[in-house]
Amino acid sequence: MQTDLGTNMRNSIRLSMHGQLMNTLIGLSVGLAGGLARGVILQRPILTSAIYGAVFGLLFGLLVARRASSAGTGLIWGLGSAFTIWLLLSSRVMPVFSAMAHSSSMLYDVRSRFPDLVADLLCLGTPVGLAVGTFGIRQTSLDRPRFSLGRAVVAGGLAGIFAGLIFGYWMLVGGFFPLLAGLTQPSGRFAATAAQFVVALILGAAFGVLFQRDVHSYGSCMGWGMGFGIFWWFLGPLTLFPWISRLPVDWSAQNANNLYGAFIGHILYGLILGVSYATFDRVWLRLFFQSDPLNRKPEGPGLHLLRSLQWGAAAGLAGGLISSPVMIATGVLPRVAGTDTPLTSVGGLLTHLVISTLIGMSFGLLFRDESPTLHIGVLWGCLFGMIWWYAGPVTLLPLLLTSEIDWRAGTISSLLPALIGHLLYGGSTALFFMLLEHRYIRRIRLNSRSANLDSLPQRPLGNPAPALWMFAIGLGMLLPILLG
Amino acid sequence: MEQAMTAGALAFPIWGLLLPFKSSGPMRWSAEAMRSDFPALVAWVLFGVAFGTLLQALTDLAEPILGPEYSGAAIAEGVRKRIVILGGGFAGMKTAERLEKLAVGRHSASVTLVSNTNSLLFTPMLAEVAGSSLEPSHISAPLRSSLAHTECIRGRVTGVDLEQRTVSLDNMNGDAQLHLEYDYLVLALGGVANFLGNKDVERLAFSFKSLFDAIRIRNHVIEMFERADREPDSTIRRRHLTFVIAGGGFAGVELAGALNDFARGILLDYRSVQRSEVEVILVHSRERILPELTESLAMYALKCLEERGVSFRLNARVKGATPGAIDVSDGIINSDTLIWTAGTAPNPLLNSMTLEKDKRGAAIVDRTLTLQNRPGVWALGDCAAVTDAITGQPCPPTAQFAIREAEAVAENILAVLRDKPQKAFHFKSLGSLCVIGHQTACAELAIPFTTSGLLQFSGLSAWLLWRAIYLSKLPGLERKIRVLMNWTLEMFFPRDIVQMIDLE
Repeated sequence: MQTDLGTNMRNSIRLSMHGQLMNTLIGLSVGLAGGLARGVILQRPILTSAIYGAVFGLLFGLLVARRASSAGTGLIWGLGSAFTIWLLLSSRVMPVFSAMAHSSSMLYDVRSRFPDLVADLLCLGTPVGLAVGTFGIRQTSLDRPRFSLGRAVVAGGLAGIFAGLIFGYWMLVGGFFPLLAGLTQPSGRFAATAAQFVVALILGAAFGVLFQRDVHSYGSCMGWGMGFGIFWWFLGPLTLFPWISRLPVDWSAQNANNLYGAFIGHILYGLILGVSYATFDRVWLRLFFQSDPLNRKPEGPGLHLLRSLQWGAAAGLAGGLISSPVMIATGVLPRVAGTDTPLTSVGGLLTHLVISTLIGMSFGLLFRDESPTLHIGVLWGCLFGMIWWYAGPVTLLPLLLTSEIDWRAGTISSLLPALIGHLLYGGSTALFFMLLEHRYIRRIRLNSRSANLDSLPQRPLGNPAPALWMFAIGLGMLLPILLG
Repeated sequence: MEQAMTAGALAFPIWGLLLPFKSSGPMRWSAEAMRSDFPALVAWVLFGVAFGTLLQALTDLAEPILGPEYSGAAIAEGVRKRIVILGGGFAGMKTAERLEKLAVGRHSASVTLVSNTNSLLFTPMLAEVAGSSLEPSHISAPLRSSLAHTECIRGRVTGVDLEQRTVSLDNMNGDAQLHLEYDYLVLALGGVANFLGNKDVERLAFSFKSLFDAIRIRNHVIEMFERADREPDSTIRRRHLTFVIAGGGFAGVELAGALNDFARGILLDYRSVQRSEVEVILVHSRERILPELTESLAMYALKCLEERGVSFRLNARVKGATPGAIDVSDGIINSDTLIWTAGTAPNPLLNSMTLEKDKRGAAIVDRTLTLQNRPGVWALGDCAAVTDAITGQPCPPTAQFAIREAEAVAENILAVLRDKPQKAFHFKSLGSLCVIGHQTACAELAIPFTTSGLLQFSGLSAWLLWRAIYLSKLPGLERKIRVLMNWTLEMFFPRDIVQMIDLE
């Protein structure tokens, strides 16, 4: 991402020799320890595993550490790096380039190495990222927004409770996945509820503390929330919950398949947490920061909102038009929004376009000022499309039509083709939105007086959005293929 | 790393989209196809990561040789066309606002607005400020905030050289002369109170054109009550408590209604003043007030105002004024207060310019609102004599027409920038609205396909319509909210009688 910000900025995230050396040493040592733990847990040769972890930590310290300026930033970089390396190494890349590559054997191979993914994420990516990021708080030269612990804890805690309240209740009623409070066998209902809220509060506050300086708009908050939810699925239902219940920790693909409903549940929980956090955080900012006359923005909230809706509607319409052929070709949306109208009919197409326009407006509201360049805009759009796939065809549509949710991997697998249409819709909507947004900014910047009022959107230096896209889009797309 | 991860993440949707194009068979967007094509996904991710890494490396290598990458949108150094607007009223402000949308940036044109105030005064609500119903700043929109892409200069125009295409202005104190060059000029100078040459009236009367006038009137009314409260002589008390308004048009009638409500409403705070001592008199030179409305509505307004305590002197003129006495054609009125709304004249600056003018002194413009024989100079609003291109009727100097004229001028400037023909101005009035007192108004709206072409409202419905329409027209969301809050508070609390800074 930082390459979009220019040479000067790139130079500014270079660390001192001492800082670089320390990062490398921390990465190496934590990676070594993580590799040892990985070997023990997976019952692999300890030496090989330790070397693997040490190399991961070393490379992370050398290449990524200078960007990891906080624990949250380091965590996301660590998760993204661990996932990428697992995908490329564990799938035995080399056969890809040879005629011997065999799809079913590779898929089987990757599936059999699912425990490696969990181990890489939890034993390498997470500890190395957190350690290097924590050290990076003092070392980095990045000019980043000031961190406010009170804001992080209050906004995050409230978001956690809110998300836990609405989602925890829903999950408990549906019995989709075990919640922590249900594992401890507390003496009464009050204790169970209290434990549940304490956990929700801690999760929300952790979200705020980790990602306060990285998240930007409602949209990016949802992205981080999705990543956080996926991370907690690996850490919670796959690892901590059985460990707390004194059951054997099972990282196999089969167990992951069984817990696939919880995966979607965690994604949706993360989305609710993200959007709740963004809301509480915006309120905090509005009350205590933006109300300060020194921090006022030139454009009032009314205009900002109207422009976002206007561009979002136009972009959503364009996205709907572009994605329609794919939606029809995949055959997953034979009926529009669960109605009796076929998508191929004029009425159906019009309904689809109206829905696309409305969803595009929500994109405008959520993702304004997030796209400095084309590829960044498109990736946020793809993430938006994926969010809508999980929220729409996977969850809301069956809930509206049958009042039931089926989150089994097999069922979700049959909905995979719709994901392509949603990704295309999100990407093209984001592309058109970015064009409209940049056109407006370029036009007003022609006037020298206006030049300092509006500038092209930028993200802070070292922001781990690329790692988040890799982690969230990658796993959001890969797991239904792998586990279905 | 950023480029590697970004390209790697992009590989996932690209792989998914290209899935069916890899084989000549039927479309393969299915879960089975995805699983069978899994090696390609890994290959795409590998390709993305490698491509991103290579791109990053090449960028790092190239920068020392080729220099830093392009930093984004460039700011135009030179602007080809300079558009100068004189006047920050409805006409000037709306012209600038429209030009911002149409021309700024797109045609590399700069817009400069010169005004002797730094805000747009929303005149339809001016009477409510004089009547202490609204805060003064709430009906004024700062020009700089409203016109983000226009250069706003607060200054007094001292001269316009139409030959040299320059405008001279000072900083309101007569010094610091500034000269502006222009390619296109818009004259939206507005008007001033016309006292018909009566110097005594001009010296003693309050005009009612600006925010300062409204604040002064409000302060003066409160001052009169303060004096009356401690005055033992009943004759002097009555003189203090008699308020005369000259002119029975919209401005005069709305002010009479607002002042009457204000004066009678604050009686509770002045216990020694009797209700019968307060008098609001409207002097009008014609048979009926509100000549802009139909007779029935005008009669309704007269009746309502009379019921609320306003007196009328119809077919009468203010001939002169001395301190404490106003000479009206049908007799003397003992009063310390005379407010003049009986006439307006175009801005006297026009007198210093070589222009064709009508008998009022307004600049004569052609069908496109361009000055006669002065291409590139437009005039509109109160300072222009505008004739409708279709009906041939003169357009009244109201805010409604000024706004439409401003839109037409902005579009004609854009047409000139594009070397396209200008459009003739035509606008049919949408109707008129006039508040005459507490929750009472008269409204006349133009409705097509009806017998008379007009729909009349009166009373509470017209008052609600007035408030809804003007609130929506008030510039800025923040102002709207503030005014709405003032209106709401007014329903529960009495009007404020705190005197503001004496601007005199």
